[in-house]
Amino acid sequence: MKRHITVKLEAYVVLTAIGLLAALIFARPELALLSAPFAVTIALGLALARPPDVRAWVELDRERVLEDDEITLAVTLEARVGASRLELLVDVPTGLELVSGRNPLALRVGAGEERILTLRLRCARWGAYRFGDLHLRARDAAGLLTWEQTIARPATLRVYPRPEALRELVAPRETQLFTGNRVAREKGEGLEFADLRPFASGDRIRRINWRASARRGELWVNEFHAERNADVILFLDSFAEAQHAGHGTLDQAIRAAASLAERYLAGKDRVGLVNFGGVLNWLRPGTGMRQLYRIVEALLNTEITLSYAWKDIDILPRGTLPPKALVFALTPLLDDRAVRALLDLRARGFDLVVVEVSPVPFVEPPSGESGELAFRLWQLRRQARRLEYERAGALVVEWHEDTPLTAILEGVSASRRHAVARV
Amino acid sequence: MAAVVAASGIAVYASVEAHRVQVLVLAFGLAAVAVLGVGLTTAAPGTILAGLAGLAAAWSVSAWTRGSGAPGGTIFAAAALFGAAELAYWSLEQVSVADEPELAAQRLAGLAVRVTGVLLLGSVLLASLGLHAGGGVVLEAVGVAAAIGLLVLVVILARAGHETVER
Repeated sequence: MKRHITVKLEAYVVLTAIGLLAALIFARPELALLSAPFAVTIALGLALARPPDVRAWVELDRERVLEDDEITLAVTLEARVGASRLELLVDVPTGLELVSGRNPLALRVGAGEERILTLRLRCARWGAYRFGDLHLRARDAAGLLTWEQTIARPATLRVYPRPEALRELVAPRETQLFTGNRVAREKGEGLEFADLRPFASGDRIRRINWRASARRGELWVNEFHAERNADVILFLDSFAEAQHAGHGTLDQAIRAAASLAERYLAGKDRVGLVNFGGVLNWLRPGTGMRQLYRIVEALLNTEITLSYAWKDIDILPRGTLPPKALVFALTPLLDDRAVRALLDLRARGFDLVVVEVSPVPFVEPPSGESGELAFRLWQLRRQARRLEYERAGALVVEWHEDTPLTAILEGVSASRRHAVARV
Repeated sequence: MAAVVAASGIAVYASVEAHRVQVLVLAFGLAAVAVLGVGLTTAAPGTILAGLAGLAAAWSVSAWTRGSGAPGGTIFAAAALFGAAELAYWSLEQVSVADEPELAAQRLAGLAVRVTGVLLLGSVLLASLGLHAGGGVVLEAVGVAAAIGLLVLVVILARAGHETVER
Protein backbone atom coordinates (compact mmCIF):
# COMPACT_ATOMS: atom_id res chain seq x y z
CA MET A 1 0.00 0.00 0.00
CA LYS A 2 1.21 3.47 -0.81
CA ARG A 3 1.02 6.07 1.92
CA HIS A 4 0.05 9.66 1.19
CA ILE A 5 -0.38 12.83 3.19
CA THR A 6 -3.80 14.46 2.95
CA VAL A 7 -4.47 18.13 2.26
CA LYS A 8 -6.02 18.24 5.71
CA LEU A 9 -2.70 17.38 7.37
CA GLU A 10 -0.92 20.00 5.29
CA ALA A 11 -3.55 22.59 6.20
CA TYR A 12 -3.47 21.73 9.91
CA VAL A 13 0.32 21.95 10.02
CA VAL A 14 0.25 25.32 8.29
CA LEU A 15 -2.54 26.61 10.57
CA THR A 16 -0.68 25.47 13.67
CA ALA A 17 2.63 26.89 12.49
CA ILE A 18 1.12 30.24 11.54
CA GLY A 19 -0.88 30.41 14.76
CA LEU A 20 1.98 29.62 17.08
CA LEU A 21 4.49 31.81 15.28
CA ALA A 22 2.02 34.70 15.16
CA ALA A 23 1.31 34.19 18.87
CA LEU A 24 5.02 34.45 19.51
CA ILE A 25 5.61 37.44 17.27
CA PHE A 26 2.56 39.47 18.33
CA ALA A 27 2.54 38.13 21.91
CA ARG A 28 -1.11 37.15 21.54
CA PRO A 29 -2.00 34.02 23.61
CA GLU A 30 -5.40 33.53 21.93
CA LEU A 31 -3.60 32.66 18.69
CA ALA A 32 -1.73 29.85 20.47
CA LEU A 33 -4.99 28.67 21.95
CA LEU A 34 -6.69 28.69 18.54
CA SER A 35 -3.84 26.61 17.12
CA ALA A 36 -3.73 24.12 19.97
CA PRO A 37 -6.59 21.82 18.75
CA PHE A 38 -4.92 21.49 15.38
CA ALA A 39 -1.55 20.71 16.97
CA VAL A 40 -3.14 18.10 19.24
CA THR A 41 -5.00 16.54 16.31
CA ILE A 42 -1.75 16.27 14.34
CA ALA A 43 0.16 14.78 17.26
CA LEU A 44 -2.53 12.27 18.25
CA GLY A 45 -3.55 11.48 14.66
CA LEU A 46 -0.02 10.64 13.54
CA ALA A 47 0.77 8.74 16.72
CA LEU A 48 -2.35 6.56 16.44
CA ALA A 49 -2.35 6.07 12.66
CA ARG A 50 -1.87 2.43 11.63
CA PRO A 51 -1.62 1.23 8.05
CA PRO A 52 -4.75 -0.79 7.27
CA ASP A 53 -4.56 -4.36 6.06
CA VAL A 54 -7.53 -4.92 3.79
CA ARG A 55 -7.82 -7.66 1.21
CA ALA A 56 -10.37 -7.34 -1.56
CA TRP A 57 -11.50 -9.50 -4.42
CA VAL A 58 -14.22 -9.42 -7.02
CA GLU A 59 -16.55 -12.18 -8.11
CA LEU A 60 -19.04 -12.22 -10.96
CA ASP A 61 -22.14 -14.39 -10.80
CA ARG A 62 -21.69 -15.28 -14.48
CA GLU A 63 -18.82 -15.02 -16.92
CA ARG A 64 -20.84 -15.27 -20.13
CA VAL A 65 -23.98 -13.26 -20.69
CA LEU A 66 -26.06 -11.80 -23.46
CA GLU A 67 -26.43 -8.13 -24.21
CA ASP A 68 -28.91 -6.35 -21.92
CA ASP A 69 -28.53 -9.06 -19.29
CA GLU A 70 -27.78 -8.00 -15.76
CA ILE A 71 -24.95 -9.40 -13.70
CA THR A 72 -24.06 -9.14 -10.04
CA LEU A 73 -20.56 -8.15 -9.09
CA ALA A 74 -19.65 -8.99 -5.52
CA VAL A 75 -16.74 -7.19 -3.91
CA THR A 76 -15.52 -8.92 -0.78
CA LEU A 77 -13.52 -6.93 1.73
CA GLU A 78 -11.62 -8.64 4.49
CA ALA A 79 -9.83 -6.45 7.01
CA ARG A 80 -7.15 -7.66 9.38
CA VAL A 81 -6.41 -4.10 10.45
CA GLY A 82 -9.47 -1.91 9.95
CA ALA A 83 -9.83 1.49 8.30
CA SER A 84 -11.88 4.38 9.62
CA ARG A 85 -12.85 5.30 6.11
CA LEU A 86 -12.29 3.07 3.14
CA GLU A 87 -13.03 4.34 -0.34
CA LEU A 88 -13.67 1.67 -2.90
CA LEU A 89 -13.83 2.15 -6.65
CA VAL A 90 -14.45 -0.63 -9.12
CA ASP A 91 -13.26 0.39 -12.56
CA VAL A 92 -16.33 -0.56 -14.57
CA PRO A 93 -15.57 -0.72 -18.29
CA THR A 94 -17.52 1.36 -20.78
CA GLY A 95 -20.36 -0.76 -22.09
CA LEU A 96 -21.49 -1.87 -18.65
CA GLU A 97 -23.94 0.33 -16.76
CA LEU A 98 -24.49 0.47 -13.04
CA VAL A 99 -28.08 -0.49 -12.19
CA SER A 100 -27.92 -0.67 -8.42
CA GLY A 101 -25.29 -0.35 -5.74
CA ARG A 102 -22.85 2.49 -5.21
CA ASN A 103 -19.59 2.90 -7.03
CA PRO A 104 -17.44 4.50 -5.71
CA LEU A 105 -18.42 4.31 -2.09
CA ALA A 106 -16.91 5.08 1.30
CA LEU A 107 -17.42 2.84 4.28
CA ARG A 108 -15.91 1.87 7.59
CA VAL A 109 -14.28 -1.53 7.99
CA GLY A 110 -13.43 -2.75 11.44
CA ALA A 111 -10.53 -5.05 12.28
CA GLY A 112 -11.39 -8.68 11.51
CA GLU A 113 -14.53 -7.64 9.69
CA GLU A 114 -15.58 -9.09 6.35
CA ARG A 115 -17.99 -7.22 4.13
CA ILE A 116 -19.54 -8.16 0.84
CA LEU A 117 -20.72 -5.34 -1.39
CA THR A 118 -22.79 -6.02 -4.46
CA LEU A 119 -23.12 -4.03 -7.64
CA ARG A 120 -25.76 -4.81 -10.21
CA LEU A 121 -24.55 -4.07 -13.73
CA ARG A 122 -26.36 -4.07 -17.05
CA CYS A 123 -24.38 -5.27 -20.02
CA ALA A 124 -25.31 -2.54 -22.48
CA ARG A 125 -22.93 -3.54 -25.25
CA TRP A 126 -21.40 -6.78 -26.47
CA GLY A 127 -17.72 -7.30 -25.96
CA ALA A 128 -15.03 -9.12 -24.05
CA TYR A 129 -14.53 -7.09 -20.91
CA ARG A 130 -11.72 -7.26 -18.47
CA PHE A 131 -12.77 -5.42 -15.39
CA GLY A 132 -10.38 -2.63 -14.72
CA ASP A 133 -8.61 -2.01 -11.51
CA LEU A 134 -10.14 -2.20 -8.07
CA HIS A 135 -8.98 0.90 -6.21
CA LEU A 136 -8.88 1.05 -2.42
CA ARG A 137 -8.08 4.16 -0.44
CA ALA A 138 -8.03 3.90 3.33
CA ARG A 139 -7.83 6.83 5.70
CA ASP A 140 -6.81 7.03 9.32
CA ALA A 141 -9.21 8.13 12.05
CA ALA A 142 -8.07 11.77 11.98
CA GLY A 143 -8.03 11.94 8.20
CA LEU A 144 -4.38 12.95 8.07
CA LEU A 145 -2.92 10.02 6.14
CA THR A 146 -4.23 7.82 3.36
CA TRP A 147 -3.07 4.48 2.05
CA GLU A 148 -3.85 3.47 -1.51
CA GLN A 149 -3.89 0.10 -3.14
CA THR A 150 -4.85 -1.06 -6.60
CA ILE A 151 -5.87 -4.61 -7.44
CA ALA A 152 -5.38 -5.13 -11.14
CA ARG A 153 -7.84 -6.78 -13.50
CA PRO A 154 -9.77 -8.93 -11.09
CA ALA A 155 -12.40 -10.51 -13.39
CA THR A 156 -13.34 -11.08 -17.01
CA LEU A 157 -16.75 -11.04 -18.60
CA ARG A 158 -17.92 -11.95 -22.08
CA VAL A 159 -21.05 -10.26 -23.31
CA TYR A 160 -22.42 -11.90 -26.41
CA PRO A 161 -24.54 -9.95 -28.86
CA ARG A 162 -28.22 -10.73 -28.35
CA PRO A 163 -29.35 -12.61 -31.44
CA GLU A 164 -32.11 -11.01 -33.45
CA ALA A 165 -35.27 -12.95 -34.17
CA LEU A 166 -34.93 -13.99 -37.81
CA ARG A 167 -38.02 -15.39 -39.49
CA GLU A 168 -36.26 -16.45 -42.67
CA LEU A 169 -32.70 -17.11 -43.72
CA VAL A 170 -31.16 -16.67 -47.13
CA ALA A 171 -31.05 -20.15 -48.59
CA PRO A 172 -27.76 -21.11 -50.28
CA ARG A 173 -28.10 -22.04 -53.95
CA GLU A 174 -26.02 -25.20 -53.50
CA THR A 175 -26.00 -27.77 -50.76
CA GLN A 176 -23.18 -29.99 -49.49
CA LEU A 177 -22.91 -33.70 -48.87
CA PHE A 178 -23.85 -33.92 -45.23
CA THR A 179 -27.34 -34.34 -43.88
CA GLY A 180 -29.09 -31.17 -42.93
CA ASN A 181 -32.37 -29.32 -43.11
CA ARG A 182 -32.10 -27.96 -46.63
CA VAL A 183 -33.91 -29.48 -49.56
CA ALA A 184 -31.21 -30.35 -52.09
CA ARG A 185 -31.63 -30.40 -55.83
CA GLU A 186 -30.37 -33.98 -55.83
CA LYS A 187 -32.75 -36.84 -55.26
CA GLY A 188 -32.28 -39.11 -52.30
CA GLU A 189 -33.65 -39.81 -48.86
CA GLY A 190 -35.87 -37.03 -47.74
CA LEU A 191 -39.40 -35.81 -47.21
CA GLU A 192 -39.88 -33.34 -50.06
CA PHE A 193 -41.51 -34.95 -53.11
CA ALA A 194 -39.37 -34.65 -56.25
CA ASP A 195 -40.64 -36.93 -59.01
CA LEU A 196 -42.13 -40.29 -60.08
CA ARG A 197 -40.27 -43.08 -61.83
CA PRO A 198 -40.97 -46.72 -62.75
CA PHE A 199 -40.35 -49.30 -60.07
CA ALA A 200 -36.91 -50.86 -60.19
CA SER A 201 -35.61 -53.85 -58.38
CA GLY A 202 -34.49 -52.94 -54.89
CA ASP A 203 -37.03 -50.13 -54.39
CA ARG A 204 -38.87 -50.19 -51.12
CA ILE A 205 -42.53 -51.13 -51.14
CA ARG A 206 -43.53 -48.10 -49.09
CA ARG A 207 -42.20 -45.85 -51.84
CA ILE A 208 -44.69 -47.17 -54.37
CA ASN A 209 -47.20 -44.53 -55.43
CA TRP A 210 -50.30 -46.76 -55.65
CA ARG A 211 -52.51 -44.18 -57.29
CA ALA A 212 -50.03 -43.52 -60.15
CA SER A 213 -49.35 -47.26 -60.45
CA ALA A 214 -53.09 -47.99 -60.79
CA ARG A 215 -53.44 -45.32 -63.50
CA ARG A 216 -50.47 -46.55 -65.52
CA GLY A 217 -50.94 -50.28 -64.99
CA GLU A 218 -47.39 -50.77 -63.71
CA LEU A 219 -45.56 -49.96 -60.51
CA TRP A 220 -44.30 -46.43 -60.06
CA VAL A 221 -42.41 -45.10 -57.09
CA ASN A 222 -42.05 -41.65 -55.54
CA GLU A 223 -38.70 -39.91 -55.56
CA PHE A 224 -37.70 -37.35 -52.96
CA HIS A 225 -35.25 -34.50 -52.65
CA ALA A 226 -32.35 -35.25 -50.36
CA GLU A 227 -32.00 -33.17 -47.23
CA ARG A 228 -28.54 -31.75 -47.00
CA ASN A 229 -26.70 -29.06 -45.19
CA ALA A 230 -24.99 -26.03 -46.70
CA ASP A 231 -21.81 -24.09 -46.14
CA VAL A 232 -22.20 -20.46 -45.17
CA ILE A 233 -19.26 -18.13 -44.84
CA LEU A 234 -19.86 -14.93 -42.92
CA PHE A 235 -17.59 -12.32 -44.41
CA LEU A 236 -17.10 -9.40 -42.07
CA ASP A 237 -15.46 -6.28 -43.43
CA SER A 238 -13.51 -4.73 -40.56
CA PHE A 239 -11.24 -2.39 -42.50
CA ALA A 240 -13.24 0.71 -41.59
CA GLU A 241 -16.43 1.73 -39.86
CA ALA A 242 -18.64 4.76 -39.46
CA GLN A 243 -19.49 5.55 -35.88
CA HIS A 244 -21.65 8.07 -34.08
CA ALA A 245 -22.52 8.36 -30.38
CA GLY A 246 -21.16 4.93 -29.47
CA HIS A 247 -22.96 3.11 -32.28
CA GLY A 248 -21.42 2.18 -35.57
CA THR A 249 -21.52 -0.04 -38.60
CA LEU A 250 -19.18 -2.61 -37.01
CA ASP A 251 -21.55 -3.03 -34.05
CA GLN A 252 -24.43 -3.59 -36.40
CA ALA A 253 -22.45 -6.03 -38.55
CA ILE A 254 -21.26 -8.05 -35.56
CA ARG A 255 -24.77 -8.34 -34.15
CA ALA A 256 -26.00 -9.50 -37.53
CA ALA A 257 -23.14 -11.99 -37.92
CA ALA A 258 -23.82 -13.49 -34.49
CA SER A 259 -27.54 -13.82 -35.25
CA LEU A 260 -26.87 -15.38 -38.65
CA ALA A 261 -24.30 -17.80 -37.24
CA GLU A 262 -26.70 -18.95 -34.57
CA ARG A 263 -29.58 -19.51 -36.99
CA TYR A 264 -27.55 -21.25 -39.70
CA LEU A 265 -25.89 -23.52 -37.16
CA ALA A 266 -29.28 -24.35 -35.66
CA GLY A 267 -30.27 -25.52 -39.15
CA LYS A 268 -27.30 -27.95 -39.18
CA ASP A 269 -25.40 -25.86 -41.75
CA ARG A 270 -21.65 -25.47 -41.55
CA VAL A 271 -20.73 -21.88 -40.80
CA GLY A 272 -17.34 -20.24 -41.16
CA LEU A 273 -16.10 -16.74 -40.58
CA VAL A 274 -13.76 -14.48 -42.47
CA ASN A 275 -12.92 -11.32 -40.63
CA PHE A 276 -11.37 -9.29 -43.39
CA GLY A 277 -9.72 -6.17 -42.06
CA GLY A 278 -6.54 -4.67 -40.71
CA VAL A 279 -6.12 -7.91 -38.79
CA LEU A 280 -7.15 -10.95 -40.80
CA ASN A 281 -9.00 -13.59 -38.85
CA TRP A 282 -10.80 -16.67 -40.07
CA LEU A 283 -12.58 -19.80 -38.91
CA ARG A 284 -13.03 -22.82 -41.11
CA PRO A 285 -16.65 -23.91 -41.52
CA GLY A 286 -17.95 -26.13 -38.77
CA THR A 287 -21.17 -27.16 -37.12
CA GLY A 288 -22.65 -27.29 -33.67
CA MET A 289 -22.59 -25.29 -30.48
CA ARG A 290 -18.80 -25.28 -30.24
CA GLN A 291 -18.56 -23.60 -33.61
CA LEU A 292 -21.10 -21.00 -32.49
CA TYR A 293 -18.98 -20.19 -29.45
CA ARG A 294 -15.86 -20.02 -31.60
CA ILE A 295 -17.52 -17.62 -34.01
CA VAL A 296 -18.95 -15.39 -31.29
CA GLU A 297 -15.62 -15.32 -29.45
CA ALA A 298 -13.92 -14.30 -32.69
CA LEU A 299 -16.55 -11.63 -33.24
CA LEU A 300 -16.07 -10.24 -29.73
CA ASN A 301 -12.42 -9.69 -30.45
CA THR A 302 -13.13 -7.85 -33.68
CA GLU A 303 -11.94 -4.31 -33.84
CA ILE A 304 -10.99 -1.83 -36.48
CA THR A 305 -7.24 -1.87 -36.98
CA LEU A 306 -5.76 0.72 -39.25
CA SER A 307 -3.74 -0.89 -42.00
CA TYR A 308 -2.53 0.26 -45.38
CA ALA A 309 -1.48 -3.22 -46.50
CA TRP A 310 -3.25 -4.39 -49.63
CA LYS A 311 -5.02 -7.66 -48.98
CA ASP A 312 -6.87 -9.88 -51.35
CA ILE A 313 -8.72 -13.13 -51.04
CA ASP A 314 -5.68 -15.25 -51.98
CA ILE A 315 -4.17 -14.77 -48.54
CA LEU A 316 -6.93 -16.86 -46.96
CA PRO A 317 -5.86 -20.44 -46.30
CA ARG A 318 -7.33 -23.32 -48.28
CA GLY A 319 -10.55 -24.68 -46.88
CA THR A 320 -11.66 -21.38 -45.45
CA LEU A 321 -13.86 -20.79 -48.48
CA PRO A 322 -15.23 -24.19 -49.54
CA PRO A 323 -16.70 -24.54 -53.04
CA LYS A 324 -20.44 -23.96 -53.39
CA ALA A 325 -20.52 -22.00 -50.15
CA LEU A 326 -22.83 -19.08 -49.66
CA VAL A 327 -20.71 -16.05 -48.84
CA PHE A 328 -22.72 -13.68 -46.74
CA ALA A 329 -20.85 -10.38 -46.63
CA LEU A 330 -21.52 -7.65 -44.10
CA THR A 331 -19.71 -4.53 -45.19
CA PRO A 332 -20.11 -0.77 -44.97
CA LEU A 333 -18.52 -0.54 -48.46
CA LEU A 334 -16.02 1.99 -47.17
CA ASP A 335 -12.76 0.32 -48.06
CA ASP A 336 -11.70 -0.63 -51.58
CA ARG A 337 -9.83 -3.71 -50.40
CA ALA A 338 -12.99 -5.36 -49.08
CA VAL A 339 -14.95 -4.27 -52.16
CA ARG A 340 -12.31 -5.82 -54.46
CA ALA A 341 -12.11 -9.02 -52.41
CA LEU A 342 -15.87 -9.55 -52.64
CA LEU A 343 -15.87 -8.93 -56.39
CA ASP A 344 -13.03 -11.44 -56.63
CA LEU A 345 -15.12 -14.01 -54.75
CA ARG A 346 -18.03 -13.43 -57.10
CA ALA A 347 -15.72 -13.82 -60.09
CA ARG A 348 -14.64 -17.19 -58.66
CA GLY A 349 -18.23 -18.36 -58.74
CA PHE A 350 -19.18 -18.09 -55.09
CA ASP A 351 -22.80 -17.52 -54.24
CA LEU A 352 -22.47 -14.00 -52.87
CA VAL A 353 -24.91 -11.89 -50.89
CA VAL A 354 -23.70 -8.45 -49.86
CA VAL A 355 -25.51 -6.69 -47.05
CA GLU A 356 -24.31 -3.13 -47.06
CA VAL A 357 -24.37 -1.89 -43.47
CA SER A 358 -25.16 1.67 -44.38
CA PRO A 359 -22.76 4.21 -42.87
CA VAL A 360 -24.98 7.11 -44.02
CA PRO A 361 -27.00 7.41 -40.74
CA PHE A 362 -23.72 7.72 -38.83
CA VAL A 363 -22.37 10.51 -41.02
CA GLU A 364 -23.20 14.16 -40.46
CA PRO A 365 -23.44 15.92 -43.83
CA PRO A 366 -20.86 18.71 -43.74
CA SER A 367 -22.15 22.27 -43.86
CA GLY A 368 -21.39 24.65 -46.65
CA GLU A 369 -21.56 24.33 -50.39
CA SER A 370 -18.33 22.37 -50.80
CA GLY A 371 -19.32 20.10 -47.88
CA GLU A 372 -22.65 19.29 -49.47
CA LEU A 373 -20.93 18.66 -52.79
CA ALA A 374 -18.43 16.31 -51.14
CA PHE A 375 -21.27 14.45 -49.41
CA ARG A 376 -23.13 14.03 -52.69
CA LEU A 377 -19.97 12.81 -54.43
CA TRP A 378 -19.40 10.30 -51.64
CA GLN A 379 -22.94 8.98 -51.99
CA LEU A 380 -22.56 8.75 -55.78
CA ARG A 381 -19.36 6.80 -55.32
CA ARG A 382 -21.17 4.37 -53.09
CA GLN A 383 -23.91 4.05 -55.69
CA ALA A 384 -21.26 3.27 -58.29
CA ARG A 385 -19.86 0.50 -56.09
CA ARG A 386 -23.29 -1.07 -55.75
CA LEU A 387 -23.70 -1.01 -59.53
CA GLU A 388 -20.33 -2.69 -59.87
CA TYR A 389 -21.61 -5.59 -57.74
CA GLU A 390 -24.85 -5.78 -59.65
CA ARG A 391 -22.93 -5.98 -62.93
CA ALA A 392 -20.95 -8.86 -61.44
CA GLY A 393 -24.22 -10.62 -60.59
CA ALA A 394 -24.06 -10.19 -56.82
CA LEU A 395 -26.98 -8.97 -54.83
CA VAL A 396 -26.36 -5.86 -52.71
CA VAL A 397 -28.91 -4.80 -50.12
CA GLU A 398 -28.59 -1.59 -48.16
CA TRP A 399 -29.29 -2.02 -44.45
CA HIS A 400 -30.08 0.97 -42.28
CA GLU A 401 -29.78 0.81 -38.51
CA ASP A 402 -33.51 1.21 -37.86
CA THR A 403 -34.52 -1.68 -40.15
CA PRO A 404 -34.72 -5.15 -38.59
CA LEU A 405 -32.31 -7.66 -40.06
CA THR A 406 -35.10 -10.13 -40.70
CA ALA A 407 -36.75 -7.66 -43.11
CA ILE A 408 -33.47 -7.38 -45.01
CA LEU A 409 -33.12 -11.17 -45.21
CA GLU A 410 -36.68 -11.56 -46.43
CA GLY A 411 -35.95 -8.98 -49.13
CA VAL A 412 -32.78 -10.82 -50.15
CA SER A 413 -34.58 -14.17 -50.28
CA ALA A 414 -37.40 -12.69 -52.37
CA SER A 415 -34.90 -11.12 -54.79
CA ARG A 416 -33.03 -14.42 -55.14
CA ARG A 417 -36.25 -16.35 -55.79
CA HIS A 418 -37.24 -13.76 -58.38
CA ALA A 419 -33.80 -14.02 -60.02
CA VAL A 420 -34.11 -17.82 -60.18
CA ALA A 421 -37.59 -17.56 -61.67
CA ARG A 422 -36.30 -15.19 -64.35
CA VAL A 423 -33.47 -17.56 -65.24
CA MET B 1 -22.82 24.39 4.87
CA ALA B 2 -22.30 23.59 8.54
CA ALA B 3 -18.67 24.73 8.20
CA VAL B 4 -19.82 28.10 6.83
CA VAL B 5 -22.38 28.44 9.65
CA ALA B 6 -19.72 27.70 12.27
CA ALA B 7 -17.33 30.14 10.60
CA SER B 8 -20.04 32.83 10.46
CA GLY B 9 -20.61 32.26 14.16
CA ILE B 10 -16.95 32.98 14.85
CA ALA B 11 -17.06 36.15 12.73
CA VAL B 12 -20.16 37.47 14.50
CA TYR B 13 -18.93 36.42 17.95
CA ALA B 14 -15.58 38.14 17.32
CA SER B 15 -17.41 41.31 16.35
CA VAL B 16 -19.66 41.18 19.39
CA GLU B 17 -16.73 40.53 21.73
CA ALA B 18 -14.59 43.33 20.27
CA HIS B 19 -14.36 46.52 22.32
CA ARG B 20 -13.44 48.69 19.35
CA VAL B 21 -13.70 48.60 15.55
CA GLN B 22 -16.52 46.04 15.67
CA VAL B 23 -17.52 46.77 12.08
CA LEU B 24 -13.97 46.22 10.90
CA VAL B 25 -13.74 42.91 12.79
CA LEU B 26 -17.11 41.83 11.38
CA ALA B 27 -16.09 42.79 7.85
CA PHE B 28 -12.78 40.94 8.23
CA GLY B 29 -14.52 37.88 9.65
CA LEU B 30 -17.21 37.84 6.97
CA ALA B 31 -14.56 38.20 4.28
CA ALA B 32 -12.84 35.13 5.72
CA VAL B 33 -16.20 33.30 5.71
CA ALA B 34 -16.67 34.26 2.08
CA VAL B 35 -13.20 32.94 1.22
CA LEU B 36 -14.03 29.72 3.05
CA GLY B 37 -17.32 29.49 1.15
CA VAL B 38 -15.53 29.94 -2.16
CA GLY B 39 -13.01 27.29 -1.15
CA LEU B 40 -15.77 24.84 -0.32
CA THR B 41 -17.70 25.58 -3.49
CA THR B 42 -14.67 25.17 -5.71
CA ALA B 43 -13.21 22.35 -3.58
CA ALA B 44 -9.93 24.27 -3.29
CA PRO B 45 -8.01 23.23 -0.15
CA GLY B 46 -5.73 26.30 -0.30
CA THR B 47 -8.69 28.70 -0.28
CA ILE B 48 -10.24 26.84 2.64
CA LEU B 49 -6.97 27.21 4.52
CA ALA B 50 -6.92 30.95 3.76
CA GLY B 51 -10.50 31.27 5.06
CA LEU B 52 -9.68 29.45 8.30
CA ALA B 53 -6.53 31.56 8.83
CA GLY B 54 -8.59 34.69 8.18
CA LEU B 55 -11.13 33.65 10.84
CA ALA B 56 -8.34 33.08 13.37
CA ALA B 57 -6.95 36.52 12.50
CA ALA B 58 -10.41 38.10 12.92
CA TRP B 59 -10.72 36.58 16.38
CA SER B 60 -7.21 37.74 17.23
CA VAL B 61 -8.02 41.33 16.21
CA SER B 62 -11.13 41.12 18.37
CA ALA B 63 -9.05 39.87 21.32
CA TRP B 64 -6.44 42.59 20.68
CA THR B 65 -9.13 45.29 21.08
CA ARG B 66 -9.75 43.91 24.57
CA GLY B 67 -6.18 44.34 25.66
CA SER B 68 -3.59 41.78 26.73
CA GLY B 69 -4.45 38.17 27.62
CA ALA B 70 -6.77 35.68 25.94
CA PRO B 71 -10.47 36.35 26.49
CA GLY B 72 -12.58 33.49 27.84
CA GLY B 73 -14.52 33.29 24.59
CA THR B 74 -11.37 32.04 22.87
CA ILE B 75 -12.28 28.54 24.03
CA PHE B 76 -15.52 28.69 22.06
CA ALA B 77 -13.83 30.38 19.12
CA ALA B 78 -11.16 27.63 19.07
CA ALA B 79 -13.83 24.91 19.22
CA ALA B 80 -15.86 26.59 16.45
CA LEU B 81 -12.77 27.10 14.28
CA PHE B 82 -11.72 23.50 14.76
CA GLY B 83 -15.27 22.32 14.03
CA ALA B 84 -15.42 24.48 10.91
CA ALA B 85 -12.07 23.11 9.71
CA GLU B 86 -13.11 19.49 10.32
CA LEU B 87 -16.42 20.01 8.53
CA ALA B 88 -14.73 21.81 5.65
CA TYR B 89 -12.22 19.02 5.03
CA TRP B 90 -14.93 16.42 5.53
CA SER B 91 -16.96 18.08 2.82
CA LEU B 92 -13.89 18.03 0.56
CA GLU B 93 -13.75 14.25 0.95
CA GLN B 94 -17.39 14.03 -0.07
CA VAL B 95 -16.61 15.61 -3.43
CA SER B 96 -14.89 12.44 -4.63
CA VAL B 97 -16.78 9.76 -2.68
CA ALA B 98 -19.81 10.28 -0.46
CA ASP B 99 -19.89 8.48 2.88
CA GLU B 100 -22.36 5.73 3.58
CA PRO B 101 -25.11 7.06 5.94
CA GLU B 102 -23.83 4.75 8.69
CA LEU B 103 -20.29 6.08 8.33
CA ALA B 104 -21.51 9.69 8.17
CA ALA B 105 -23.38 9.22 11.46
CA GLN B 106 -20.29 7.72 13.11
CA ARG B 107 -18.11 10.55 11.87
CA LEU B 108 -20.59 13.15 13.09
CA ALA B 109 -20.53 11.59 16.54
CA GLY B 110 -16.73 11.52 16.44
CA LEU B 111 -16.64 15.19 15.48
CA ALA B 112 -18.93 16.10 18.39
CA VAL B 113 -16.58 14.27 20.74
CA ARG B 114 -13.53 16.06 19.31
CA VAL B 115 -15.15 19.49 19.55
CA THR B 116 -16.05 18.73 23.16
CA GLY B 117 -12.44 17.70 23.69
CA VAL B 118 -11.30 21.03 22.25
CA LEU B 119 -13.53 22.89 24.72
CA LEU B 120 -11.98 20.89 27.55
CA LEU B 121 -8.47 21.40 26.23
CA GLY B 122 -9.03 25.13 25.90
CA SER B 123 -10.35 25.36 29.45
CA VAL B 124 -7.40 23.37 30.80
CA LEU B 125 -4.91 25.49 28.89
CA LEU B 126 -6.49 28.75 30.03
CA ALA B 127 -6.65 27.60 33.61
CA SER B 128 -3.27 25.87 33.91
CA LEU B 129 -1.17 28.41 32.05
CA GLY B 130 -3.02 31.41 33.41
CA LEU B 131 -3.33 32.83 29.92
CA HIS B 132 -6.43 34.71 30.92
CA ALA B 133 -4.30 36.90 33.13
CA GLY B 134 -2.01 37.90 30.30
CA GLY B 135 1.14 36.71 28.51
CA GLY B 136 4.43 36.12 30.26
CA VAL B 137 7.45 33.84 30.25
CA VAL B 138 5.39 30.63 30.35
CA LEU B 139 3.48 31.57 27.20
CA GLU B 140 6.67 32.53 25.38
CA ALA B 141 8.35 29.25 26.37
CA VAL B 142 5.33 27.27 25.14
CA GLY B 143 5.27 29.26 21.91
CA VAL B 144 8.99 28.78 21.21
CA ALA B 145 8.81 25.04 21.96
CA ALA B 146 5.72 24.61 19.81
CA ALA B 147 7.19 26.60 16.93
CA ILE B 148 10.42 24.58 16.96
CA GLY B 149 8.45 21.35 17.26
CA LEU B 150 6.29 22.32 14.35
CA LEU B 151 9.19 23.19 12.14
CA VAL B 152 10.62 19.73 12.83
CA LEU B 153 7.23 18.20 12.05
CA VAL B 154 6.93 20.12 8.77
CA VAL B 155 10.35 18.85 7.70
CA ILE B 156 9.44 15.26 8.64
CA LEU B 157 6.13 15.44 6.80
CA ALA B 158 7.70 17.03 3.77
CA ARG B 159 10.09 14.07 3.58
CA ALA B 160 7.35 11.55 4.23
CA GLY B 161 5.25 13.12 1.50
CA HIS B 162 7.82 12.18 -1.11
CA GLU B 163 8.60 8.71 0.04
CA THR B 164 6.04 5.95 -0.39
CA VAL B 165 5.93 2.84 1.63
CA GLU B 166 5.22 -0.25 -0.39
CA ARG B 167 4.06 -3.41 1.25
